Amino acid sequence: MLETFTPAVCGSRKRQIVAQALFAATAVATAATLGLALGALGSALGARQAVLAAAGLALIAAAREAGIVRFPLPQARRQVPERWRFELPLPVWATGYGAGLGAGFFTYQPVSTFWVACAAALALGRPLPAALCLSLYGVGRAAMVVWPRRRGDDPTAAVERLAGRRGALLRANAATLVACGVLLALAPAAGGAVMVQGGALDPSVDRGNLAFATQDGSVVIRPLGGGPDVVIPDAREPSLSGNHVAVVDGAGVTVWDWQSETPVETVPGVSHPALAWPLLAYVRVDSSSRVIVVRNLENPGDQGQVRARVKRSVDLGRPSLRGNRLAWHTASRRSSSILVKTLGAKAPRVVARSRISLLANPSLAGSRIVWVEQRSGKSYLRVGSVRNRKVRTLERLPGRGRTYWTTALSADWVYATRWRLATGGASILGTRR
Amino acid sequence: MPPRDALDRSAERLSAKLAESTTRRSFLGRLGAAALAVAGGSAVAAAVKPDEADAFHFCGHIWTTGSCPSPYPPLSRIDRKGFPLHPKNGKPIDNLGRFVDPAGNPVDGNGNRLVGPDGDELPAGPRTRICEDWTRERHGLNDVRTQGSWFRCCGGQIRKLVDCCSHSQRRINGDASLVGYCWGGRRVYCVMYYDTGLPC
Repeated sequence: MLETFTPAVCGSRKRQIVAQALFAATAVATAATLGLALGALGSALGARQAVLAAAGLALIAAAREAGIVRFPLPQARRQVPERWRFELPLPVWATGYGAGLGAGFFTYQPVSTFWVACAAALALGRPLPAALCLSLYGVGRAAMVVWPRRRGDDPTAAVERLAGRRGALLRANAATLVACGVLLALAPAAGGAVMVQGGALDPSVDRGNLAFATQDGSVVIRPLGGGPDVVIPDAREPSLSGNHVAVVDGAGVTVWDWQSETPVETVPGVSHPALAWPLLAYVRVDSSSRVIVVRNLENPGDQGQVRARVKRSVDLGRPSLRGNRLAWHTASRRSSSILVKTLGAKAPRVVARSRISLLANPSLAGSRIVWVEQRSGKSYLRVGSVRNRKVRTLERLPGRGRTYWTTALSADWVYATRWRLATGGASILGTRR
Repeated sequence: MPPRDALDRSAERLSAKLAESTTRRSFLGRLGAAALAVAGGSAVAAAVKPDEADAFHFCGHIWTTGSCPSPYPPLSRIDRKGFPLHPKNGKPIDNLGRFVDPAGNPVDGNGNRLVGPDGDELPAGPRTRICEDWTRERHGLNDVRTQGSWFRCCGGQIRKLVDCCSHSQRRINGDASLVGYCWGGRRVYCVMYYDTGLPC
């Protein structure tokens, strides 16, 4: 194929440069597009297991390249169609060759590295970084066309010289694959989170139904197993429980029957609802304090009972109510805490407390609890138990630009809002817990 | 002579003595800290040689004990009370590294309140002392105290280097700790710094 990109075949030195440029640009663009697609697919599928699969694949490929094991590679052992350059104009065949070789699937693969790169792009679960990484494959393809010309070589001689170093190249390739495999295996579940919804925040999940607020000011309820979304306009901070959802709107907190789309109850002048039908918890700000009130909506005479009280200068975030357990955070300039209270008990239990971290936005499901911890420009998603002090880190966001916000917890999944401080842009990510 | 001038002169004499002294005993560091607090340190500026101190991991720190944990590790810059400051511009920051206003609310570089993804203003988060709170919690030391200090010239100004001291025989680096400028049986666990803003 290299003989194709010579002045003799192309017609002149100038046409050769044009052909090489088109080939190179298309090869890089096609490889990047492939990476973009694989990254998007990984993002949709969930990538936690795929990282380990890619690591295993890299090590197996390394063993193959080192000659330890032998197996055929999936590939199309074809050359680029030679007739194209006789039948088609130069810009078309040069672009076509670039696209065919840049995609990787339609040509001979002397080593298994391409397939490992594809698996890694899938495991990355992030389209743009995956596109960037895989575009290097296209760069490699383009380099093989441009390189002999730069050296003023005969292309065939250049390829033969390279083939003479095949042993060294295979050893270098094997070493690189081992390094990739080890790094992937050690990576802290890179890309384990799956994008659930962009431009959204404040997730709430119950019985497989998911609710969230959009950044344009509505609440969306996404039913389990598909079906059309239910949208409540001019609302935020949803909390789902069965076929009811509590939201914050202009009046205060309104509870809706989201399946019939009818309002059930409104509590004026309060915020941060948490619903475990028929119990509704919310935050009320008094003259000198902030309180969490829990009210039974099936009891018309119930004015609510104060379950937590802090000074007004202390932040009380969005509580979580599941069964008869209530969880909330307190944050002041001195410390922050995650607290859980069984509604019949007098005193809350401290699940986590810190003088240096900001612990916030807990969510309950059964005896499990998830919350966000922020410190020194890092943000962590912690999962623990309300029964003991065992805590593990589910996800970690390095860097000061992005951080976690609100959370939701189901039997299998942890949802969290991730947002950018510079733009305010938020999205909801889901991670298998 | 007005009382304020008399105080300044006393502080000047005390501070000059401190800066000229060749001993590195911890009590002098304590005297120096007191003098600096009283006089604003103007006299120290005149006495310390105007050379840049050699840096180990931040300017002025030529020994090997590591920095205390902080919002911008390893730059554990503190204010006079031991609370974190931004290492570049010296503005107060909270434990997340965000600028804060006098009420402790997070603000941007221009002093405007930061808002969350829902458009509401973000509430104040913890802002606690690097030695007594950060080091205590991160390293499980219940006896840490801010104690000794010494001075160096850094970036054209007097920098006060401060020891965070503990009874621990190990320092933050994981090896044996040194007495340094600590007292009362304590040894240096980690170090912090306070930029006085006084030219040297």
